[in-house]
Amino acid sequence: MADFRHHLTLYLRLLGAQIRSQGAHRTSFILDALGSLLITAAEFAALALVLPRFGGLGGWTLGEICLLYGLAELAFVLMDILFGGFDAPNLSAHVRSGSFSTFLLRPAPLTLQVFASDFALRRIPRVLLAAAIAGYGLTHAPLAAGPETAALLTAAVLGMICFFGGLFVIGGTLTFWTVDSVEAMNVLTYGGRTLISYPMDIYSAWLRRTFTYLIPAAFLSYLPALHLLGRPLPDGLPDWAALIGPLAGPLVLAAAFAFWRVGVRHYQGTGT
Amino acid sequence: MTTTPAPPTGGHVSRLSRLALPWAVSRLGFQRQFAYPQAALWGLITNSFFGLLRVAVLLALFGTRPQVAGYTPQDAITYTGLTQAFIMAFSLFGWFDFMRVIHRGEVTADLLRPASLLGFWAAQDAGRALGQLALRGLPMLLIFQVIWGLNWPPGPLAWAQVVLSVLLAWGCGFLFRFLVNCAAFWSPDAVGFGRFAWAVLGLGCGFLMPLAFFPEWFRALLAWTPFPAMLNTTVELWVGVTGGAAAWAALGTQLGWTVALLLACHVTLRAGLRRLEVAGG
Repeated sequence: MADFRHHLTLYLRLLGAQIRSQGAHRTSFILDALGSLLITAAEFAALALVLPRFGGLGGWTLGEICLLYGLAELAFVLMDILFGGFDAPNLSAHVRSGSFSTFLLRPAPLTLQVFASDFALRRIPRVLLAAAIAGYGLTHAPLAAGPETAALLTAAVLGMICFFGGLFVIGGTLTFWTVDSVEAMNVLTYGGRTLISYPMDIYSAWLRRTFTYLIPAAFLSYLPALHLLGRPLPDGLPDWAALIGPLAGPLVLAAAFAFWRVGVRHYQGTGT
Repeated sequence: MTTTPAPPTGGHVSRLSRLALPWAVSRLGFQRQFAYPQAALWGLITNSFFGLLRVAVLLALFGTRPQVAGYTPQDAITYTGLTQAFIMAFSLFGWFDFMRVIHRGEVTADLLRPASLLGFWAAQDAGRALGQLALRGLPMLLIFQVIWGLNWPPGPLAWAQVVLSVLLAWGCGFLFRFLVNCAAFWSPDAVGFGRFAWAVLGLGCGFLMPLAFFPEWFRALLAWTPFPAMLNTTVELWVGVTGGAAAWAALGTQLGWTVALLLACHVTLRAGLRRLEVAGG
């Protein structure tokens, strides 16, 4: 317990240093934050502005889509803030420049240092926007208010943070071996985020099934959302699949960290 | 340090040799795109995947409707294929090259060349755009043609108008990107300003959704900006949403914005270089 408290203090202290350095150039920070906010705002506005003309998207109303879109965006941005250090471009830069080796020399846990190495504060406004979109969804979709709904939604967000965090850890670990092919992970991370931002019944069966059974993305928020909206699950899945769905996230994260440990051992083995 | 403005191209330089430098620069810009074939392949795969998702969303929006705002579902697929194909050629996700050169002070070396700075960068970007079109744009159209089938311009006149429109869309887009990059003359925070500008571009040029789908008030607002000229006009000419006299009017609007942005670039560049001189001297 004392160990945990020590690590938490260390993590917060490293974040404090990051926050101070990012706050040094105030105008730059504000413009970057606005630019990052505007990317999400533009993408969402493009959908929200055209929906009235079409009435809905595959039988889903704006409120219901906001629920899916807002939850996915909220979880992804929070994950990005938390796991940014593992993102392949950031980690591969540390590996190439040799600063990763300095991490290994410091008397602090390696994983903790990587966690604290790219804490992008400029994403905070995006979190607020994502929360607002999800909030609109919560108030405009036919959801039953209650502890079960709250618990399932929280589990869905946490599950997605773990899932995409796991993908970032896997992508980052791959940079120990190769720098080029990590781009393929973008299909799963950014592609996966976009994929689950919309009701998955709009995709062709093979695409939906791939991202349900092979890559368990649909379990994270789509199945819980279907359950909360009183819609049947696809492929005749039993209703309880929606309730345990968010667990897919922590499982992916655990597997990712197992892979990370293998990667770190590999890195030390070839180190000079 | 003071910067020497590019020497005026005098009468003793023949017309042909004056074109030799931009030609060489374009060719190098073109060839450079083929240096990392593996990155291009992964880029193509990623773009195809996002194309797949965008097609699914658009088709779900259409539902059983045969036509919305002049677009059939097949037109919407063609729109997606075209926009995915032009991402890299038109640098729709941003372009910071000129900004970097200003920040590093290398712009002074650029000024020593016996060519106009804007012309030099335009030639380089033209080569880059053509390279990306060949490397990523055409394969993307081929992928879309194989999977969903595309609608193609109906005849020689439509083809000519589309080709003209692509050139103007590139010109307009390049000048806008160049103008945004000029912010680096005044501010060390130009990267953030650039990200902001690219986000506006993505929505305004019709990359995220066909502009015809937007509400009237929003389209009226965009009509006062150069953004539709940077992509949407080309798409509408290709799928035939714009035709007849309206096609020529659309091309005229594109030309008008290109000229306006060219003037804006000249004025801004002159002011920026003067500032560079003051700061350096």
